[in-house]
This record gives sequence, structure tokens and C-alpha cells, in this order.
Amino acid sequence: MTWTWFHRLGSPPHVYRLAERLTPWFAWPAGLLIVGALYGGLVLAPPDYQQGDGFRIMYAHVPCAWMSLMVYVTMATASAVGLIWRMKVAYAVAASCAPIGASFTAATLMTGMLWGRPMWGTYWEWDPLLTSELLLLFLYLGYLGLRSSFDDMQRADRASAVLAVVGVVNVPIIHFSVYWWNSLHQAPSVMKLGAPTIALPMLIPLLMMFLGFTLYFIAILLVRLRGEVLRRERSASWIREVVTP
Amino acid sequence: MTAFLRMGGYAQYLWPAYGIAFTVVILNVIWARRMLARARAEARRRVAVHGEFALRGEQA
Repeated sequence: MTWTWFHRLGSPPHVYRLAERLTPWFAWPAGLLIVGALYGGLVLAPPDYQQGDGFRIMYAHVPCAWMSLMVYVTMATASAVGLIWRMKVAYAVAASCAPIGASFTAATLMTGMLWGRPMWGTYWEWDPLLTSELLLLFLYLGYLGLRSSFDDMQRADRASAVLAVVGVVNVPIIHFSVYWWNSLHQAPSVMKLGAPTIALPMLIPLLMMFLGFTLYFIAILLVRLRGEVLRRERSASWIREVVTP
Repeated sequence: MTAFLRMGGYAQYLWPAYGIAFTVVILNVIWARRMLARARAEARRRVAVHGEFALRGEQA
């Protein structure tokens, strides 16, 4: 087994060109999957026997919640790689994740409130899951705030990476809080061990959303990554090649 | 069609939820592209100001 692919990922010009080439291969399937999932979720799936058509809020809320966690885990992993191997590109990945994650965490909280009002009778409850998701938003905002407080990119990268790695303890808390404490929030029906407890016509659009949003995240990440790589390369001559038309 | 839009009485919660989620989806596309365009413009400016010789000098 050779490690050349890993070393090549440490090379900014290689990563820049690879990201440029790969973006459409993630973006188009993501768009198609999400549009298909919307049709499946809003039209084809039957109403829930308890929540009626209200359960369809799931197809907006759950993908956002998935994004909020997946992006954080990516950000923390990239930060750890950056700290351990001093890899500039890994820091660029982590920095690219933060604004994406923050916006989807805010969307998770807002769509969750809109689902909670008709189902639980309240927009907000200081429930373990809701509170830890709010903490996730603060972690993202803290990460962004910490970065912007440094003029020096390298110091910003290192300090914010430590915060991202420490904050990852919040992720399992969010995921398991519905089991650990009594919660208003329903337990997961897909992301768990064993078979999903959800009917197939409801499940398929949700799985398409998961896949579609994952591909969408990668596409957005690749675009931002190119920008972050450019910002970190102050002096390399390959920049001239990629920015001059 | 009206039945679809009414969503079994959940319309006032459901459509805003979809509105928020997909506004964030679109905004992230716009923000990412704008961020890249800015980084490219900034890099182009650096290249124009410093030139190849100065770039090599910085690297050394």
C-alpha cells in the first residue's frame, strides 16, 4: 500500500485542481437526488397515522440535522489531521466547513421549532437534545469568531482547530440524548442499530435526502476549499496559473 | 392542488420549514461561489502587484 495519494492531498495545487474537477460530479447528482426526494416526501409518501401530513416536515428538518452533525464531524476530523500532521490543506477543509455547518444548525433549530409547535404544543423546550443542538450552533459561531480574532492565518488555524476537536464531545451527546434522558423529541427511526422503524415509502425519500445532502455538502466544501487554499498560499507560483485567465 | 398546499392543516408550519431549509441550501451555494470569487480576485491582485520575481523571493 502506498501513501502517495495521502501526500498528494497535502499539495495545494493538486487539491485545488482536483476540487475544481470533482465539484460537478457531486453537485449534479445532489441536485437530482434532492428534487426526487422532495417529490417522494411531499407527494408519494402516505400521511403518518399519528402526525398526518405534519410528519412531512421531517424531509426538511432531518437533512438539516444530518448536515449539522456530519459537517461538525468533518470539521473536527480535518482539524485533528491539521494539528497532528501540520497539514495546511486539512486546516483549509476545517475552515470551509464552519459557515456551512453553522447555517444548517440554525436551519435545524428553526425547522425543529416549526415541527415542535403542532406536535408538542411548544416551539422550544430546554430539552437535552434541543439544548445540545443549540450548543452546537454556539460551537460553530465560537469557531468562526475565534478565527476572525486572529490576523495570522496559521495561528487562527491552530487555535480554532483545538476548539473544534474539543467540541466534538457534543456530537454523541446530541445523538444519544433521546435515549439517555426523557426527551420530548422522538427517538431516531433510521440512524440506529437494527432495522429502521419507518415504512418504506416514507424511508426512501429520507434516504435520498441523506445521500443528496451528503453529496451537496461535498460539492459546497470543494468550492470553499479552493478559496481557502488560495488564501493560504501567499507566494506559490502555481497561483498565477490558476487565477490568470 | 389546494389540498396539497393545505397539507392536512399543517401548512402554516410545513411550508415555512421547507422555506427555511431550502433558503439555507441556496444561500450556501451563493456564499461558497462568492467566497471563491473573492479569494481568486485577491490572489490575482497579489500576482499582479508582486509579479513572478517577488513571488519567488517570498518563497525563499
